[in-house]
Amino acid sequence: MNGHSKRVLCCAVAVLATTLAGCAATGSSSGSTSGPLTIGMSLPLTGPNADVAKAGYQGYKLWAAQVNANGGLLGRQIKLDVLDDGFDPNQTGTDYTRLISQDKVDLLLGTFSSLLNAPASAIAARQQMLYVEPSGGSAALFTRGFTNLFFAQPGTTASLPNLFVQWFASLPASQRPTTAAYVTQDDPSASPAIAVFKTKLAALGVTTVYDQTYDPSTSNFDSIAAAVAHTESQMIIQGSVGDDGPQFVRSLEKLNYSPKILFQTNSPADQAYPTAVGAKNTEGVFTMEAWSPKASYPGNAEFVASYTKTYASLPSEDAANSFTAGQVLAAAVKAVGRIDQKALADWLHTHTVNTIVGPLKWDATGDPLGTGLLTQWQGGTLQVVAPKQAATSTTIVNPKPAWSAS
Amino acid sequence: MIELGQALVFGILIGGVYALMATGLTLTFGVMKIVNMAQGAFLIVSTYLCYALWQHFGLDPILAAFVVMLPMAALGLVVYKLVIERLERIDPGLTIVATFALALITEAFLALIWGPNQKTTTPVYFNQAIHIGQLVVPRAQLYACLLAIVITVALRQTIKRTWLGHAITAASENPEGARLVGIEPARVGAWIFAIATGSTAFGGAALSFLYQFTPDTQDAWLGLTLSVVILGGLGSVAGAFAAGVLLGVAESLTTAYVSVRWATAVPTLLILVVLTIRPQGLFTRLTRQDAAS
Repeated sequence: MNGHSKRVLCCAVAVLATTLAGCAATGSSSGSTSGPLTIGMSLPLTGPNADVAKAGYQGYKLWAAQVNANGGLLGRQIKLDVLDDGFDPNQTGTDYTRLISQDKVDLLLGTFSSLLNAPASAIAARQQMLYVEPSGGSAALFTRGFTNLFFAQPGTTASLPNLFVQWFASLPASQRPTTAAYVTQDDPSASPAIAVFKTKLAALGVTTVYDQTYDPSTSNFDSIAAAVAHTESQMIIQGSVGDDGPQFVRSLEKLNYSPKILFQTNSPADQAYPTAVGAKNTEGVFTMEAWSPKASYPGNAEFVASYTKTYASLPSEDAANSFTAGQVLAAAVKAVGRIDQKALADWLHTHTVNTIVGPLKWDATGDPLGTGLLTQWQGGTLQVVAPKQAATSTTIVNPKPAWSAS
Repeated sequence: MIELGQALVFGILIGGVYALMATGLTLTFGVMKIVNMAQGAFLIVSTYLCYALWQHFGLDPILAAFVVMLPMAALGLVVYKLVIERLERIDPGLTIVATFALALITEAFLALIWGPNQKTTTPVYFNQAIHIGQLVVPRAQLYACLLAIVITVALRQTIKRTWLGHAITAASENPEGARLVGIEPARVGAWIFAIATGSTAFGGAALSFLYQFTPDTQDAWLGLTLSVVILGGLGSVAGAFAAGVLLGVAESLTTAYVSVRWATAVPTLLILVVLTIRPQGLFTRLTRQDAAS
């Protein structure tokens, strides 16, 4: 063998060795069929949404523990690979890239808020990975043509008003308020829903007498409440996200201006809401929820009991949503019988999954084909009043009683 | 006309609240020229302490403020002696970094003790109002505004009429000259810092029943109170009160007659306009030092 032939042989061996090493590396990651099944996620465990993420993480952990106690998925135990993004969208993108390319996780689960799920789902789509998200209901997320994105809640912001509008339409014309004031925070989870409310209620003959969008940093609602009171609007629809909901109610209370119907997004489901507005003043306030601890969907009561036993507190909606995302992922994996990202997405596009938030089915963009739960504060408890199959109360408080002084 | 009157009432009352929140910063930033980035954190510590007294003993937040004032003043004294005084000797600019770090640490401690969820106090008057004809005067804001007036008058009288006040003025305007007449600026500084931190008790009390709060609520209030102090003119307690009212009225009128969206931009716009016309602030005279710089 001459020198040239030796060099060619050495190069060939080196290329072969490199190729084999590459194959070995791939085989030990997503293509592996033994060892634990790794599921990657990045959560805002620190930062302004840490409280939401903590409950969400606990929901994920409870789901994983239950799956593992029942033999795992595809006969393999589940291992969660969790990174912290500090509620930073850029860090979220970096984390999901790392989970896929460096940690080589087998499956992904989503994070919290539309803000973070937007970049995370885009990276998952680019890497052709299935992406089931527990949160992120902004309609804008489902207009990007992704076929691997699935929202594990009953509805998005676009469908949020449906149940309320259906109930409103069922009222005799003489009992329907004829004027409405719309006040919303400039937020992707609130303002699009309020725009839909306005359109649908206008179609039912409700006149808009006030329509304002406020900045998320707004803390003083007295002037807004005074302007609304000045219009003498019979119904108020507020797109509230956090403490803006109770702050606005407190301002209405001070003015002693009580509408016949008050609907607020998000805020009334917060545990601190009754304390903030006064327990008696919650009576009759409507909101929409993705989940209720009282809903009679299969597995829900067991989830509530198990979560309460494990964490010594009642589960929040965020905990339920992440548990649901896990249920959706597990249903697809069990049905398909292998880790094939495209096959998993195809299966979810054509099947209904029964979860603790009810049966979930999606359109081609991953937008769920349902609505959430219409809930109303009644006697100090948030009761589900629609849909009928999940209702925990057969009555609806209408009109809302006047404010109590304390 | 009623709408205008109502907007003015709301504006004046909330302006008083802004001034109350800015009281401590008026002294540290306005008189001592120390940018205390932990002032918002001190305000929230006071809020949580008032909340704790209300929750455990049923003590009204306004009365609780008089109890909270003492430990807060002591905290201010400790922070001044351990941090501010030492850094001022090395590089006054370092106090900004140090107090910012202190704010972050305080926020973390509050979250550890009380958690990240929203809290509020609900004394009997929190959602009540006095009706004068067609005008509505919310009791909570009214009490907070009256508290602001009392605190402003008390601080102004302390600065104008007492030996300590004269020492504060002397030490802040001419430290070398003050030393010549036996006033030690460092000692006076400690007093100012203690008073400034102690006075956050009243702002904190008002915050506890006017709004919901979390450990990171300090961020929003620090920006707003800085706006009030700059608008009023550095070192002017009465100016800060007037600036707070001006800010509140401007916000309220913007909400009523322009757009809700523009209301949050009002502080920044006002600062831009006022500093262009009167760089020394609305209620302070231009000194020779200001004119030269």
